[in-house]
Amino acid sequence: MKNVLGIILNVDGEDTTLKNFLEHRSLSTLPFGGRYRLIDFMLSNFVNSGITQIGVIGSHKYSSLVDHLGTGKEWSLSRKTQDLSILTGSSNSRIGSFIKINLRNLINNRIFLENSNADHVILATPNLVTSYNFREVFAAHQKNDADITMIYKKDHGKYQFRDDDLCLNLEDDKITNIYYRSTRRTPFFFAEMLIIKKSVLLQFLDFSDRSGDWDLIDMVLSNMDVLKILGFNHSTYIKRIHTLSNYVNASMDLLEYEVIQDLFRDDNPIYTKIKDNHPTYFNDPSKVSSSIIGSGCSIDGAVSRSIIFRDTEIDKNSKVQNSILMQHCQIGKNTILNYVVMDKDTIISDNTSLIGKPDSPIVIKKGTVI
Amino acid sequence: MNNETVAMLLAGGQGSRLGSLTYNNAKPAVFFGGKYRIIDFPLSNCMNSDIDIVGILTQYRPYILNNYIGDGSAWALDQYRGGAHILPPYMGQKGGRWYSGTADAILQNIDFIDRFCPEYVLILSGDHIYKMDYSKIINFHKDKKSDLTIAVMEVAWEEAHRFGIVNTDANQKILAFQEKPAQPQSNQASMGIYVFTWSVLKKALLEDAEDETSGHDFGHNIIPNLHAEKKQIFAYPFSGYWRDVGTVESYYQANMDLLDPDCDFDLNDKNFHVFSNNISRHPQYIGPYAKVRNSLICDGCMIFGQVEGSIISHDIVIHPNTKIIDSIVHTGAIIEDGAVIENCIVGARARVKCHERYLNQNNPEDEIRVINS
Repeated sequence: MKNVLGIILNVDGEDTTLKNFLEHRSLSTLPFGGRYRLIDFMLSNFVNSGITQIGVIGSHKYSSLVDHLGTGKEWSLSRKTQDLSILTGSSNSRIGSFIKINLRNLINNRIFLENSNADHVILATPNLVTSYNFREVFAAHQKNDADITMIYKKDHGKYQFRDDDLCLNLEDDKITNIYYRSTRRTPFFFAEMLIIKKSVLLQFLDFSDRSGDWDLIDMVLSNMDVLKILGFNHSTYIKRIHTLSNYVNASMDLLEYEVIQDLFRDDNPIYTKIKDNHPTYFNDPSKVSSSIIGSGCSIDGAVSRSIIFRDTEIDKNSKVQNSILMQHCQIGKNTILNYVVMDKDTIISDNTSLIGKPDSPIVIKKGTVI
Repeated sequence: MNNETVAMLLAGGQGSRLGSLTYNNAKPAVFFGGKYRIIDFPLSNCMNSDIDIVGILTQYRPYILNNYIGDGSAWALDQYRGGAHILPPYMGQKGGRWYSGTADAILQNIDFIDRFCPEYVLILSGDHIYKMDYSKIINFHKDKKSDLTIAVMEVAWEEAHRFGIVNTDANQKILAFQEKPAQPQSNQASMGIYVFTWSVLKKALLEDAEDETSGHDFGHNIIPNLHAEKKQIFAYPFSGYWRDVGTVESYYQANMDLLDPDCDFDLNDKNFHVFSNNISRHPQYIGPYAKVRNSLICDGCMIFGQVEGSIISHDIVIHPNTKIIDSIVHTGAIIEDGAVIENCIVGARARVKCHERYLNQNNPEDEIRVINS
């Protein structure tokens, strides 16, 4: 896949229900699954697919992204033959109009596109939880000499839709129309990953600069008749994180054995920043079931149906259920947590009870002390 | 780069007393405490002691060890000028030969050490579990204007006959050595950690090389020779956790120490990190009917059975209806449905078949059994 430039950029904006977790970070670095950040999935997918030039377009909250990616060493991207670039993005500041894939993000980085010798560009959003290899779709894209290949998923119950999600009209493998879900529905929805010929993308950037239309999807729609646009089915687990409820749902999906098998495959490992912490210590009274536990934890209490991130301590006689505890939380003695989502570095003192509801968990910001 | 001291880590031994754990793997690369390998401890000590140049002498089954050390970046030893260097035996104009003893291994690498023009050379071995700030023993060596400083620690009197014992005066100057004495005169045991002034060591190595009767060993040849020459030899007293893990029993016991809340060996000390070279793995998954108590478990594991008093390394699958009691399981092992193991060490990628049982009641000698693939 030497002929492909991979670009990770935010599709849509951020939903307000996640805002408590996004004060200090962008959606791409939201902690997920006991040790990961959301972007780890797409970045690892790119690397595992053999893409050697990767650009990550950040939002204005860069520090967590830069801190997390560093030189890209953990993804084998700090070699002389590989390249990871952290690029500047642009945010959507027009009232009332909605932009799906903002071309201004790419206009800002036009030189990056032009300097690359790749002929094709993969655009993907950082908030997808999926283990995916792009080799197959790229082979189809090349074989069919497509201008654009959009990856789609067949409608299924687990995916949580929004009105601005895109539905595709498919005839054989050809995409004949694209609708916003609020206007018209089809069983195929756009999975927010696509491959586009770089020459076509650069032309779109020119049009966009002249016309003031910033949405790549609008460009695609107005050129539907002259471009060859194909669809490609995504058949394994995929979940998009953009609201609190689907963050919680996707996290809890990890407690299903089949989902773990689908996401953490030997042939497609998900890489993340390595931490040198000790193995997790389960003390004598501890009782843990149906949970994902990161390394460096020390568990004395009871944990069930929960996601416990690295370096978290849960003291004696405490009970944690149906909750997500991000990195480096400290839970005191005799504490009860049920349906709680807490950001990192939170401290819960002894004898505290926090009980949320399944459909509205208690959300605790980073560094809170209770 | 700090080139005052070059550390030389002796990692070439077979460790034959560890039995099948070192069948295809050098002793320093044997797993310890779940995610670690034995060599992590001296390498992390170097990192925590501001030592930037480490030569690692390898000989026996070096592939896993070399691969693990890599460029040394896991221990922050990937530097432009210093860093970790793997030093295998090599050919020269006059042919080549294996390292024939601990001192011979250093002798053959005099050129390596000379490249850095160090004042001191620190000799370490790759089979001890401990945390030590080597800068303290080096400062002690400087303060005493010593030629050789040996780290010692107090051992129980009844154990003293198993160690090299030193007698010192009030100033910690060593007066006499006794190697594994029947009647020990002190309980200060050598830990196999030496600081030499490089010029003194180099001369001693070259002289020893001429002596055809010598076994080219630090403990038996070099140190007694220096003592006979009336060199300044001091004992640096160390107190803290230190274990030799040369036998299956001592290896097992030192692992189990990690589960003892009263043990003062802390892997979680943020001021003295123990680093290791690990790849990304998914977090561990504890299944619905799993029971885990008093155990250490690492990333990549899928636990569906009962685990008690055990140390579970990476990527291990423990199926339902299993019992893992007081055991050590190494990376990639699979414990199949219904298997029971007590007091065992399960080797890397071994498979304990369903309904196999290794029970204490069938093991009157209380032997630690090693299960290998």
